[in-house]
Amino acid sequence: MGKLLWEAIQRSTTGPLMSEEKFETELFPTVLGDLQKKYRLEWDPDEPCMIDPDMADAVFQAGKELLLEVGLYCKNTKRIIKFTQEEIEEAVCSARHEVTLGHGRQAITLEPRAPGDEQHLYTFFPAGQLTTDVELYKNHALTVMQEPTCDGVIPLPLFAVGNMKNIADTPASTLVCLTEARVMNEAATWAGKPGLFFGIPMSATTPLALMSTFGSGLYNKNNCTLPVQILQDMRVDYDRFNLAFFADQQGIEPWMSCSPTLYAYLTGPEQGAMEIIAHTLGMLAYSGGALTQAMSVSVHGTYVGNDISWCNSAAALAAERNLKLPWVSFGMTGNPAGALSDDNWYDTAAACINGCISGMEGLWLAGGNTGLEARWAGEIARAGATLSPKEGVEIIKKINAAERAPAPPGVPLDKLYDLATLRPRQELVDQYRKFTRIFQDLGLDYPTWGHEEPVS
Amino acid sequence: MATIADLRQLVSETKPEEAAAMTGELLAAGHNAMEVLEEGVMNGLNDVGDRFAAKKAIVLDLVRAGVTAKACIPLIQEAFPKGEGAKIEKKIVLGTMLSQHNIGKNLVSTLLSIGGFEVIDIGEKNSPWDFYETAEKVGADMIAVSVVFAPAMEKFTELLDLLKELKVRDKYPVIVGGAVTSQKWADAQGADGWGAQAKDGVSLARDLLKVA
Repeated sequence: MGKLLWEAIQRSTTGPLMSEEKFETELFPTVLGDLQKKYRLEWDPDEPCMIDPDMADAVFQAGKELLLEVGLYCKNTKRIIKFTQEEIEEAVCSARHEVTLGHGRQAITLEPRAPGDEQHLYTFFPAGQLTTDVELYKNHALTVMQEPTCDGVIPLPLFAVGNMKNIADTPASTLVCLTEARVMNEAATWAGKPGLFFGIPMSATTPLALMSTFGSGLYNKNNCTLPVQILQDMRVDYDRFNLAFFADQQGIEPWMSCSPTLYAYLTGPEQGAMEIIAHTLGMLAYSGGALTQAMSVSVHGTYVGNDISWCNSAAALAAERNLKLPWVSFGMTGNPAGALSDDNWYDTAAACINGCISGMEGLWLAGGNTGLEARWAGEIARAGATLSPKEGVEIIKKINAAERAPAPPGVPLDKLYDLATLRPRQELVDQYRKFTRIFQDLGLDYPTWGHEEPVS
Repeated sequence: MATIADLRQLVSETKPEEAAAMTGELLAAGHNAMEVLEEGVMNGLNDVGDRFAAKKAIVLDLVRAGVTAKACIPLIQEAFPKGEGAKIEKKIVLGTMLSQHNIGKNLVSTLLSIGGFEVIDIGEKNSPWDFYETAEKVGADMIAVSVVFAPAMEKFTELLDLLKELKVRDKYPVIVGGAVTSQKWADAQGADGWGAQAKDGVSLARDLLKVA
């Protein structure tokens, strides 16, 4: 638990009162703009990554000042919770720099790694599909967990179990979450990895469902973490504090996450990176977590582009140099086009290389929609570990400039995998081999785990 | 001398105090209130919307544009000649489904009021039940829903299902509009009308409620 949890709760009842509208339209954007100017943070739209150590330090200072000047807006009481510089500096000094995820033979420990470090990024793949079909969900999880580069998974949300819809704040939601947890445990056992890390309970949409899912023991302190994130743009509510306290009481690792939306109230990736640092310091103060997930998204709905990757790398490098928290970012594209689309393979690789050269420790939701895409993300994360920032940027620029075949229509999992044997079909293997060759030519020559013989 | 184009520019630049002052100036100089509203305020808002669509503005600019419009609209409402705002004995329940957005909804409200309809504005963050309950309570003739983000789309469908289940679907024509909606989507849900712009709300209401 963070040393400042109780202070934060107290200050939520005594801090300065302000309407949420004034906070979000005046205080927050004004301070952001002033700090961006003060620290001369400027993104060059031609640059996909931020690799300048001096600017990384400036991003960190600006993010810290953002938290100190703006504070956290408590939605329950309409008051601002402020921290002092000494309090935040103490939270930084006492932060944990390592975290162990999973257990038994699948336990991995994320330790600080700098850009170019030989230690590869750990890759946590999306498992299960956005579906109501539990059997399909399990098959998908198995195709991913069986991959040798699978260091852990992030379950995708189940929408329903049979006819039982995942209705928030009802026992049906808990039932769906328990089913997710049961399937993940079963699939991990079938894949020979019973101690695998399962990320966060993704089917849970409310604190109640999150806490009751842990109550079952299927998800527990050894295999899962609990989200305690600050809400969009420096806002908190009492749910955040309840979750942080629950995590502490149960010995569960907090999942500190920040996903700023660019072009909503943030003018661009510079402000996104500042917000990530400010949120991280805030979460550190009240939850005492270590594992941090930070990724940006555009209000126009995209997870790729120079602005997104610049923001993610700027925040990661700022944290690597000043915080050394175990840091993960988004390792896929969010592109619905599917496994046979060139965009998915290119953009996933770019996200992985960006992670490598920004000093991240891991990638979450790495890969795409299938096991082979997951394998691909894991291989690129390993092959790219020792790249220098300059080398990595050059490769990403080549990726961005590459000619790409038009995306074919999306294909369901059973057309890509034989679900009886869980082996990929020819077309998907061909795609994997094509991109392995392309990236060998780009300078990422690495040993693969062999080429599966496809199902005829 | 100020022109309506100047007002449009001020709304587009999201300057609420200056825009309100210029609105007063234009009206005092004898400009037609509807022209001030449509060509000054609404076109200014559309300019911000176009910039956002072209990725040259952010959501905060849209919010500030809404605040600017809000500062001008009461002055314009007061300036409408009494005859033009003559009351039509038709009540319309209007609100935003789920989200806190209100720029488009407020404009529709203003235009419907100017058009003579009695608007019962239930504000933001509404559930399907809120629309139904208010419509029953006030004896509404129509329901108008603003849907501006994806989760609210599903709730709009729930509203239509709810009205059917409670056997009042025929009683209330339901119209919808908002950033994430389209004619195709509205038709597929079974809405009675869809509007791309705020002013479409008035023509839809006139048609559906058979107002001459």
